[in-house]
Amino acid sequence: MGPHPNHARPRRTAGQPAFAHPSEAQFAALLSFYGIAWLYEPTTFPLAWAADGRVTLAFSPDFYLPEFDLYIELATRKQSEMALKNRKLRRLHELYPDVRIKLVNRRTFEDLLLKFGLEERSAQLIGGVGRA
Amino acid sequence: MLIGQEELRARVCALGAEISRDYAGKDLLLVGVLRGVAIFLADLLRAITIPVAVDFIGISSYGPSVETGGVVRLTKDLEEPIEGRHVLFVEDVIDTGLTLSFLLRTLRARAPASLNVCVLLDKRAHRLIDIDIAYCGFQLQDEYVVGYGLDHRQRYRNLPIVGVLRPDRY
Repeated sequence: MGPHPNHARPRRTAGQPAFAHPSEAQFAALLSFYGIAWLYEPTTFPLAWAADGRVTLAFSPDFYLPEFDLYIELATRKQSEMALKNRKLRRLHELYPDVRIKLVNRRTFEDLLLKFGLEERSAQLIGGVGRA
Repeated sequence: MLIGQEELRARVCALGAEISRDYAGKDLLLVGVLRGVAIFLADLLRAITIPVAVDFIGISSYGPSVETGGVVRLTKDLEEPIEGRHVLFVEDVIDTGLTLSFLLRTLRARAPASLNVCVLLDKRAHRLIDIDIAYCGFQLQDEYVVGYGLDHRQRYRNLPIVGVLRPDRY
């Protein structure tokens, strides 16, 4: 079974999509503020298959920015939760080398909150500013 | 302290010389976005040795007071026409590129002869939107910096150096 991303079930709805995490809703609001069109989890990339062809591992990047042909994944969770995400990203690069994806890591997200005076929301969004 | 006064002065002078060479004989207009760029732009302007005009643009900033569905708007528009002119957009710091992407889109729609970017501090590791930077003062990593025009809640702009803001000052 070869790699074929699944674009067939876009999750964007007419209103706000059901974001999986408050940080995603905040990031979407920021993109919209600056007039950058986005789609929420519009594509699922199969990453591994069972012998019978069933997809056993897949990855749906959080955002797609059509104007820039760019996927964005928020990686704001704790380090202990990042191992699987990093593994998926490495596999995505192997199977879909032409797909452009950028990570917003926890540090970048913290800086965004600071820059826009939103650091008081950090506990709600990412569990607090955690830099040393 | 991250970048001292002498280092800033030397780099800004070098940028001014480079810009002067590249734009010799052209109708150059520097455009700065308020307010963080003020000090860098003032020094850069004085380091440019060719005829040059200057203008400013201001935009509303995202923040806690922005209502759901709010969008960026110009708080101060340019006073100079830019159609057919060589525009050099000057920024203090570029990180994700979200703000700059909006501003460049706005300026491009006014049909300048050319549109390039000059930035004092480039946090490339944070870039989301790829933007060509023609002139760059310094590359930064993860530091949250203030001084030389850059603020945190409107403070520290008057520091003559670029410094890293201590986390206990957030």
